Amino acid sequence: MTEKTSPTVNSFVSQNRGLILSLLALVVLPFIVGLFEGASLGAVWQNESGTSKFVQGLAIEIFILAIYALSYDLIFGITGLLSFGHSMFFAAGAYLSGILLKSFDLSLGMTLVWVLVIAVVNAFLFGIVLPRVKGITFALVTLGLGSVFHIVIMSREVGDYTGADVGLQAVPVPEFINPATHRLTFYFVAIVLLLVVYFIYKRFVDSPTGRVCVAIRENEDRAKMLGFNTFYFKIVALVLSSVTAALAGTLHTLYQPIVSPNTAGLGFTVTALLIILIGGVGTLNGALVGAAVYRLLDFGLRRYLGESASFINGAIYILIVLYLPFGIVGTWRMQSAKITEGRKRLLKLLKLEK
Amino acid sequence: MDSEIIFETEDLRKVFGGLVAVNDVSIKVHKNTLHAIIGPNGAGKTTFFNLLSGNLEPTSGKVFFKGKDITNQPVHRTIHFGIGRSFQITNIFPNLTVFENIRLASQAMGRDNFKFYRRTGSFQSYANRSWEVIELVGLVDRATTPARMLPHGDQRKLELGMILAPDPEVLLLDEPTAGMAAEQVPELITLIQGIQQAGDKTVMLVEHNMNVVMSVSDVITVMHQGAVLAEGSPSEIAANETVQTAYLGGLYQLDL
Repeated sequence: MTEKTSPTVNSFVSQNRGLILSLLALVVLPFIVGLFEGASLGAVWQNESGTSKFVQGLAIEIFILAIYALSYDLIFGITGLLSFGHSMFFAAGAYLSGILLKSFDLSLGMTLVWVLVIAVVNAFLFGIVLPRVKGITFALVTLGLGSVFHIVIMSREVGDYTGADVGLQAVPVPEFINPATHRLTFYFVAIVLLLVVYFIYKRFVDSPTGRVCVAIRENEDRAKMLGFNTFYFKIVALVLSSVTAALAGTLHTLYQPIVSPNTAGLGFTVTALLIILIGGVGTLNGALVGAAVYRLLDFGLRRYLGESASFINGAIYILIVLYLPFGIVGTWRMQSAKITEGRKRLLKLLKLEK
Repeated sequence: MDSEIIFETEDLRKVFGGLVAVNDVSIKVHKNTLHAIIGPNGAGKTTFFNLLSGNLEPTSGKVFFKGKDITNQPVHRTIHFGIGRSFQITNIFPNLTVFENIRLASQAMGRDNFKFYRRTGSFQSYANRSWEVIELVGLVDRATTPARMLPHGDQRKLELGMILAPDPEVLLLDEPTAGMAAEQVPELITLIQGIQQAGDKTVMLVEHNMNVVMSVSDVITVMHQGAVLAEGSPSEIAANETVQTAYLGGLYQLDL
């Protein structure tokens, strides 16, 4: 690709350098943590309990959150659709996989197929209102759809399957990926899935379809006038997002292996929103960084401050939004561009002085 | 004028509440002409354009494009027929680069919109077309600049480029020089004239600058309170008594 044909293309190599490094770090992380504690590599490999296993668990939660946040970034950050019912996509995956594994004894493969089908149906459910409502109205309609789902999940009529307000308990997890006995396997499966989702999203955003989604976010009327039927593009984004979120939900069920009705609530949608606000809206990388910051901050504060953690947590989020208005990744990109420019200007100036 | 008719309206009417914005307008636009629509503010010029381009649906009446009825076609479809439309208020993608703005416009015409598995950079034809257009409107140096950082005059040029990229047969230009510095106006007008003459395109122009209208137009339609007041060549319009009192206020004298 020549310089002239694509001025918008980012420096792909330098971006992936950070990714490869962090990936390597994540692969050795369980073993390093184990060594610090004096556990042998073999012990870590055998999934013996210890700090390493605990850290793996925390990391798995981050990966699941990251996949979920990526899916929200696609519809909110990239396509510009503000949805307040996004947790429904996640919870549908989580509940469905749990119910199919527990009450219907389906294999993991069949479960995944069903999750995929229902995720697509969900996306279309959100999609049918798209041509009629925009902006904040869309947010409210999706909030309504999500709330209906939440109420249905909690209702006593389906309690035999969903566990009503207690949640879905004791989901049988296939042994080869059981997080209690095979956590390291689960850890690597989660990393691989996160990577696959991340690269699919990267490619999507850089594809002709994704570019139109960005155009819709920027100025939907203009996109229509260029000749794009924006409805179809929004549906594509919703389907991809819903499938991803449902995958994250399935992983969540397999890992926990319980499903709380909270995953269907508005609070969990706000979690996704918060994660990408911290990381940087519309940056994709921001969802990964944001998920890590969100989970670690929550974990750390809760450990040392106990009950008052959420208060401090909230204060930190306010500070982040105030001082990093484009999120960590967004602000970083902007600043590094400024620094490069400033350095160029400085060099020019110094030459002039000579 | 005996060339073929490209655009035709039949008793086109648009009512907003109690206001008749466009009142039974029937006009014929001939191919390869520069057809100006003038009239005082509120005469219904922009609404008329919106009816032609599909941004609005008419209350009654019909629009024909190349003999085909395109009444009630949505705006994302009319452009595929070959109708490009610019706006009085600059309408671009502010945070995208100049190149990307125009590249999107080129991509819209192709059949690759749903190839979500391929990189945008691998579609050379759209990039090539975009560079052609960027060169034509004179924004090569600005190609990587985000559109919002451009001065107003360049944004108008960018918008013109976005309409030109799909290579439409008819350009509907709604006050292309609006808000431009006076010294930039002739440049843009020359550009529009050049495009019209070089690519055998039809241009419909709404414009308030009478010097521009009188010098470039082949045909002028004068609108007043939603209806057509007069139509004719620039010299006929300048000599028309009714037009003089209704719009030009007796002030405009054609320098011949």
